[in-house]
Amino acid sequence: MERRSFVKLLGASGVAAASMPMLAGKASAADKVTIALIPGLTADGFYVTMHKGAEAAAKAVGAKLIYQGAAEWNVSLQVPVLEAVIAKAPKAILIAPTDKQQLIQPLKKANDAGISVICVDTFIGNGVFQTGAGDADFPIAYVASDNVLGGRMAARALAKAIGEKGKVYVSNVKPGVSTTDQREEGFKDEMKNYSGISVLETQFNDDDANKAAAQFQAVLGRTPDLAGVFGANLFSAGGTANGAKQAGVTGKVKLAGFDAPESIVPQLKDGTFELTIAQHPAEIGYFGFMSAYAHVTGNPVPTAIGTGFTVMTGANIDDPNVSKYLYKSS
Amino acid sequence: MSDTILSVRNVSKHFGGVQALNKVSFDVHPGEVVAVAGDNGAGKSTVIKAISGVFQYEDGEILLDGKRTAFSSPQDARDSGIETIYQDLSLADNLSIGANIFLGREPMKRRFGFLPVIDRQKMAEAAKATMESLDFHVSRLDAPVAAFSGGQRQAVAIGRAIYWNARLVIMDEPTAALGVPEQLKVMSLIQSLKAHGKGVIFISHNLRDIFEVADRIVVFRRGENVGERRPSETSGDEIVRLMVGK
Amino acid sequence: MAAPETLTPAIHARGKVVGRSLLMRIAELRAWLFLILLLIFFETWARVAYDASFVLNTYNLQSISVFATAPLLLALGQTFVIISAGIDLSLGFVMGLASVIAAHAANFAAVQLGLPAPIAMLAGLAAGVAVTIIPGLVNGGLIAHLKVPPFIGTLGMYGVARGAAYLFAGGMTISVSNDWYSAIGNNRVLGIPVLVILTVIACVVMHYMLSQTRFGQHTYAMGASQAAARRAGINTKKLTMKIYFLSAIMAGVGGVLYTGRFSAGAAQAGEPLLLDSIAAVVIGGASLFGGSGTIWGTVAGSLVIAVIQYGLVFIDVEPFWQFVAVGTVIIISVLVDQTQRRFMGGRTVE
Repeated sequence: MERRSFVKLLGASGVAAASMPMLAGKASAADKVTIALIPGLTADGFYVTMHKGAEAAAKAVGAKLIYQGAAEWNVSLQVPVLEAVIAKAPKAILIAPTDKQQLIQPLKKANDAGISVICVDTFIGNGVFQTGAGDADFPIAYVASDNVLGGRMAARALAKAIGEKGKVYVSNVKPGVSTTDQREEGFKDEMKNYSGISVLETQFNDDDANKAAAQFQAVLGRTPDLAGVFGANLFSAGGTANGAKQAGVTGKVKLAGFDAPESIVPQLKDGTFELTIAQHPAEIGYFGFMSAYAHVTGNPVPTAIGTGFTVMTGANIDDPNVSKYLYKSS
Repeated sequence: MSDTILSVRNVSKHFGGVQALNKVSFDVHPGEVVAVAGDNGAGKSTVIKAISGVFQYEDGEILLDGKRTAFSSPQDARDSGIETIYQDLSLADNLSIGANIFLGREPMKRRFGFLPVIDRQKMAEAAKATMESLDFHVSRLDAPVAAFSGGQRQAVAIGRAIYWNARLVIMDEPTAALGVPEQLKVMSLIQSLKAHGKGVIFISHNLRDIFEVADRIVVFRRGENVGERRPSETSGDEIVRLMVGK
Repeated sequence: MAAPETLTPAIHARGKVVGRSLLMRIAELRAWLFLILLLIFFETWARVAYDASFVLNTYNLQSISVFATAPLLLALGQTFVIISAGIDLSLGFVMGLASVIAAHAANFAAVQLGLPAPIAMLAGLAAGVAVTIIPGLVNGGLIAHLKVPPFIGTLGMYGVARGAAYLFAGGMTISVSNDWYSAIGNNRVLGIPVLVILTVIACVVMHYMLSQTRFGQHTYAMGASQAAARRAGINTKKLTMKIYFLSAIMAGVGGVLYTGRFSAGAAQAGEPLLLDSIAAVVIGGASLFGGSGTIWGTVAGSLVIAVIQYGLVFIDVEPFWQFVAVGTVIIISVLVDQTQRRFMGGRTVE
């Protein structure tokens, strides 16, 4: 059972404190600090759980949380929401930007209006902030799962499951999404350490389970000794699982998924999924909110916080210490 | 002259403040071709629409085979034997001759004893027979009518009228947008209708066509019937004078 | 009334009509020819590169046919719509809505009502399809009675269905645990996937409706000319309502089968399939201006898309080529279509 949770420290400013001062809730209702959270999309267990974490933080310090988002992962839907939130003049905005480049200018407007920006889950620019370089440097911090690390963990767990030899490939959504790109990057990089494993060309399914299934079947068709697949997000993994089921190789070809909605539990138990990498979105929400609060109340904060992962398998999912990381649906 | 198919008697119609038709009268007999001439806005289209049931007329009456008509819709008029062929021919370009003739009233038969299907064979046979009666010979009757020339398409529209035993065929500018050879073909089609004993009304700006094939010319001006002439008893100049009121 | 010397009483259709009919045949079968070319291509490559057969391979055939069923079910309804010179952009999310409602209904029946699995499955199927009646009627009403252009009307419904689907889904995929339901989406009968059997049945029914009934005939007529249809006595309003009602129902069928296959209802289930459904109809020989197209053409179009997407992965071509390939096929299809029409004298864009 692998379980890691750690706080990573980075930043050119070299600020030391790994813990953040938490101010007691002595603000009165009239001057409650207001901080907004804009998820990548609202219709998603991951962000629902992140929202809960942020709410817990808001309650702990007596601040106010505004939560607004679009139902889908789409720049042209997120930007109007951002602009509406800016008009409400919160002290800070926590946001999961839907595009690394296109959200730079709209967020800069927030920053110029005196609203501090913190990126959660995804980032703008290159995700490294407050360095004095580049035009996407202004956010205060980046709080997220270290998706590269997540990819690595998936690689290690999958390698173990297939006996450290065989052919694998990544089933991904589409290139250009920072989170899934990083997971793939981490996975492929870690797999270099296993000489017995070869990584085939990545397949992109556009978040279409039907396509993911067909792609799996096509790869299997030409690679009968396929050993494992890493599904970089929910639909990738779910579609691939169905393809495996229809091909009759469930359990024979090991499937590693990413993310842990409640529906994953039966699939871990019956072997459809060998394992899944659960993020800790509640921590992202919590630490994201706390960073924002600390900053707007005049305290320094780390420019990057990486939250951890839990590897869930059929064997450990019943353990409450593991199952508590399942994403909530409401 | 045999009995009258259509008798328009003192029919009037106004739209808003405009008197589109003012006590208009004329008759059409079987086997007779009546050309309706007149300048734009003279009331030609309006009287046609009144006859074919597009709207109700006020005052006066229109008699079909001696009976007063009160069509609630163009469908009504069609069912009573008045077929109107508009300038665009109202054909479905992507369908065959037979499909166009039967459009809206496709014959059905039962396949395997229970499954209702369109009886395409009947449609094709009827199309062949009808078109041949118009001297229209084609080897592939299932080609879409878009493949045919303007005159041929006009023949299809007329064929539809004939098949459903229209007593009166109304044609709105049948030769507009056709080249001369095609115009001649349409004229011969109208002759065919005559030969079948139908009554024909056609609206036209083309004096040559009018003089070519009409038995009588009715001239409209400002919503009124300002004169009827037989082609043999008049001239193009006189018709034009009647049209513009000089 | 002298008969001019140049007037010939007999009117002969242009001789080209005979030659045209052969081209018409080729036009209708264009998509199948395309498909055969693709299969030859992939078969050759597979033999040379992997010493294996692409086509004579039950596994491949099963995979490709299941892959094709998802967009094909949407494309069946879309065929009628496109022939009528309309378009239905709401099908993707109507499918998603049906998928989500089916999941909820199956769960409710099994858990809250304690009904046995097969009954719960039927409840899911019925509820999912039934819910699509609403978007179908609304689309039809907007387009037929309020005269809203189909693109705009169905675009509006796209948004409404999307919102409704996500609302009912509450941000998650709705898991369903029902062996019977899952069997419909995943089992095989004599080696043929049940999904494929059901889809073939749907194709046969749709083909009958389009080619043998007055409804189908009038759909073609309306696509060529609304005025002609109306003047022929066809109730074009009612016809339009029926067409959009049908396309929504087919999206519903697609949605409820999706839930069976993936054991989960997802609001975005049909979203990636919408454009594929239109592409399938177009590759199959329909014109986006209306008036032409066939069910079997659409089937061929769906298979072309599925074979390309599956085949390119099978022969291990870089993924980016997959994106390019389907788009290229569509463009070639439309170009071929335009050329054929111009040659045969039909309506084209000038």
